Amino acid sequence: MLSRRRLLGLPLLLAARRALAFGDQARLTFAQVRHLGRWDPRPDGLSRLAWEISKRTSIETSPLVKPIGLADPDLFRFPFAVLSSDQSFPLPADAEIASLRRYLSYGGFLLIDDASATRGGAFEQSARALVARIVNGASLSRVARDHVLYKSFYLLDGPAGRLLSTSDLEGLELGGRVAVLYSGNDLIGALARDSLGTWEFEVSPGGELQREKSIRLGVNIAMYALCLDYKEDQVHIPFIMKRRRI
Amino acid sequence: MLEPGIELRAESRVRARIAVLLDTSRSMRFPASPGGPSRAEELVRWVQAHKADLEKLASRFQVDFYGFDKELQPADAGRIAAARDARAMGESLAQGPATDILAALTGAAAAGTAGRPLAGFFLASDGADNAELAEGISGPAGTELHKLAAPVFALPIGAQAVKDLAVEKIAVDDFAFVRNQVTVDVTLTARGFGSTDVPVVLKREGQVVAQKTVHVEGDQARYEVKLSFVPDRTGKFAFTVSVPVYQGEALAQNNQRSFVLKVIRDRVRVLLVVGRPSWDVRFLRQLLKRDPNVDLISFFILRTPGDDPHSSQDELSLIPFPTQEIFQEQLKTFDLVIFQNFNHRPYRMSQYLDGIAAYVRDGGAFAMIGGDQSFSAGDYAGTAIEDVLPVTLLPTGPTAVDETPVQLKLTDSGRRHPLVELAAGTAQNEQAWVRLPKLPGLNTTGPMKGGAQTLLQSSEGRPVLVVGEAGRGRVLALLTDSSWYWSFVAAGQELGPRAYETFWHSAIRWLVRDPALTPMRVTAERPSFEPGTEPPSLDVQVRGSDYGAAAGAQVTTVVSSAEDPVPRPGGSATAGADGSARIMLPPLAPGAYKVTATAKRDGVQVGEAEEAFVVAPTAREMIEAAPRPDLLRAIATATQGRVVEADDPLLSLPWRDPQRVEVGQRTSKPLWDNWKVLAALCLVVGVEWTLRRRWGYA
Repeated sequence: MLSRRRLLGLPLLLAARRALAFGDQARLTFAQVRHLGRWDPRPDGLSRLAWEISKRTSIETSPLVKPIGLADPDLFRFPFAVLSSDQSFPLPADAEIASLRRYLSYGGFLLIDDASATRGGAFEQSARALVARIVNGASLSRVARDHVLYKSFYLLDGPAGRLLSTSDLEGLELGGRVAVLYSGNDLIGALARDSLGTWEFEVSPGGELQREKSIRLGVNIAMYALCLDYKEDQVHIPFIMKRRRI
Repeated sequence: MLEPGIELRAESRVRARIAVLLDTSRSMRFPASPGGPSRAEELVRWVQAHKADLEKLASRFQVDFYGFDKELQPADAGRIAAARDARAMGESLAQGPATDILAALTGAAAAGTAGRPLAGFFLASDGADNAELAEGISGPAGTELHKLAAPVFALPIGAQAVKDLAVEKIAVDDFAFVRNQVTVDVTLTARGFGSTDVPVVLKREGQVVAQKTVHVEGDQARYEVKLSFVPDRTGKFAFTVSVPVYQGEALAQNNQRSFVLKVIRDRVRVLLVVGRPSWDVRFLRQLLKRDPNVDLISFFILRTPGDDPHSSQDELSLIPFPTQEIFQEQLKTFDLVIFQNFNHRPYRMSQYLDGIAAYVRDGGAFAMIGGDQSFSAGDYAGTAIEDVLPVTLLPTGPTAVDETPVQLKLTDSGRRHPLVELAAGTAQNEQAWVRLPKLPGLNTTGPMKGGAQTLLQSSEGRPVLVVGEAGRGRVLALLTDSSWYWSFVAAGQELGPRAYETFWHSAIRWLVRDPALTPMRVTAERPSFEPGTEPPSLDVQVRGSDYGAAAGAQVTTVVSSAEDPVPRPGGSATAGADGSARIMLPPLAPGAYKVTATAKRDGVQVGEAEEAFVVAPTAREMIEAAPRPDLLRAIATATQGRVVEADDPLLSLPWRDPQRVEVGQRTSKPLWDNWKVLAALCLVVGVEWTLRRRWGYA
């Protein structure tokens, strides 16, 4: 049976598939974490992000998003996972937490996006509780503005999303990299379109410019997940410093 | 007074002693004059010419003959004088490993028989002292000479050839790091030179790597020179520091010195060129960046000409792909170049492919990792890259990749190859590979090239991992873009990422020829051999391509040097059961040598390895061998003697006159013991008493 996600993804699939590859496993495929809350608040957002990444960068993406449970062994075939909701969600079971911990420890990346974009809201509290369970007692910390995330492809000066509830991204570092990234501004919501291809939500307060920044931040996050600190290699620094000054 | 007596003494004058000291050190083997006889031969001829003179001297003095070098020992002047072949006699005399003139003089002074006084020393030597007097007469040495209390008459041997330029000393570490500057401290000695500019050259196996000019002035004997260079590849190399041989020099042999330097990596410098970001790229970069032994330089194509970032260039962090800088200027600085799913065409890189292939053949390492832009799909068919790859390529087309899932399997070669050893033991290793997650597809290629080895394949026989050699370099073809499955997906299957990490670490070590993964090794017993005393010997360890001991392999060697680059046959041997063999090379002249050992079994080459060593004198005796008449003159002056000419008559020299007489016999006779004397005394006393009475004095 063709789901709404698959139906929306079909035109994107054709556009994104530019070259031969060894199956979709070679592409960047987002895994959407299935939790016990409303786990898929922006059904089209990640496919749109995949399409934008494919159109703007050399990254090959799959428009098909993989819904997956944290305890599913297949989770490890999708190193980029997204956990989202617009409301609180129950904490996963211990086995799922253990699996997620292992996933992140061995190289997985988790983007937590607050679709409610409500600072201190129910989702945020659930997300922070989850992070504290992943690494006992750990908490999210602010991602500095000079972090490579803000220059992995576009030169950005801050976070973006459907709303600007928070002025910073937050993250949890494991093994010298940001393994968990928390966005409190409904980043994916800014990219979502309806079945007719129009933007699903207004973007406030910055309007379309803010939406473009949201797309760029999404691209940067994907680029960071795949290239890590590549843009901090010495060869890039003078170019980036020069452009930052412009 | 009460017991008078007579003492009878037999006295004689004592003949003083002369110590004749003949230099028997090995430096006396060098020519006394450019192209002339050896100094030792000249010494023998002097003894023969002065035979009568010495006999006359012996009639007046006791003449003790000594040979001296490091030690003092009696010499048979008669045998020397009677020698028919002065040259052979000289050769047999000049055997001493060092020259210690002061010890010879003090030793001869103390060896005097029956306390005979010293009339003087006669010292025949080249003056090439390498002990107390090597730096001239110091305060303590001067005191010792003064204590001799006898003049030294010095006959300089080889004084005609006082001009000499020598590379006296080289100070350099035993090993250096590739691409890091190495400084060689050179000490030159120059004697008998006027104002001259001397070029000092440092060569690596005949190739100049550093050069400096030293201005030599007449009043300075020693010069310090620093020669610096940056080694560009790893290995063991023989280096030579040399200065020109000028006309009239006493010695040509000491105008160069060789040494062996082992150049190692501080870190493996890896160039990673990536066609597009992917999980395969991400996990490999993460691994390489974490490895403290790897210096990673990476270039990722983040945007292709077809991508539209919806922004100006200034809003992007992208930099131009510096192809010329990387592939032309910097290429040789890398130990390993990896193309990961990278198609060269869009970046106009065709012009650099020949250079990359040449870099590999010249000893570099190259790995190509699969993907939809790699191998045949990367349009490398017919390029110079295909020439060095271990696989042949197909024209670009839809068959360039095969998406059939791949169950991994070790090949026969893979079962023994260290590159794919995940676990100890063949069965455990095979199991370790089989347990890994299936790969989603493979690049397809043409047939393997001759000499290439497929180490991993799919269960139906499609190659997955192929390795080979191109010239002096090593190449690896990994025909998948999903080796990250061995890390992350395996971690999800409770296997952990160890297989991935082990595989890549081994692959890099094998590619850059880590000695631990080299199937054949040849090692010189020592980095430097003494010429003429011992033939250089080599220890060879041969392992086959399966890394097992190559028992029975025939090992042959060829030797070449910077002076004679044509390989000459060395020794040969058969490897024992443990794959080891020992080879004795023929005696070699001083110089820097490279030996190449080749092992064959059943006519098929098993392996090849190189080693460098030098044949050079290590004793100062043979290095600081220039005649030093100035030192002999100083000794003579300090002892109130003088320098004599070869034809000066010995008797005419101002030997010290003997001052002492020796009492041979002493006899005392008391007078009272003789009755006649007693009676005469009584008579005298009686007559004296009688006369005094008569004359009224009493």
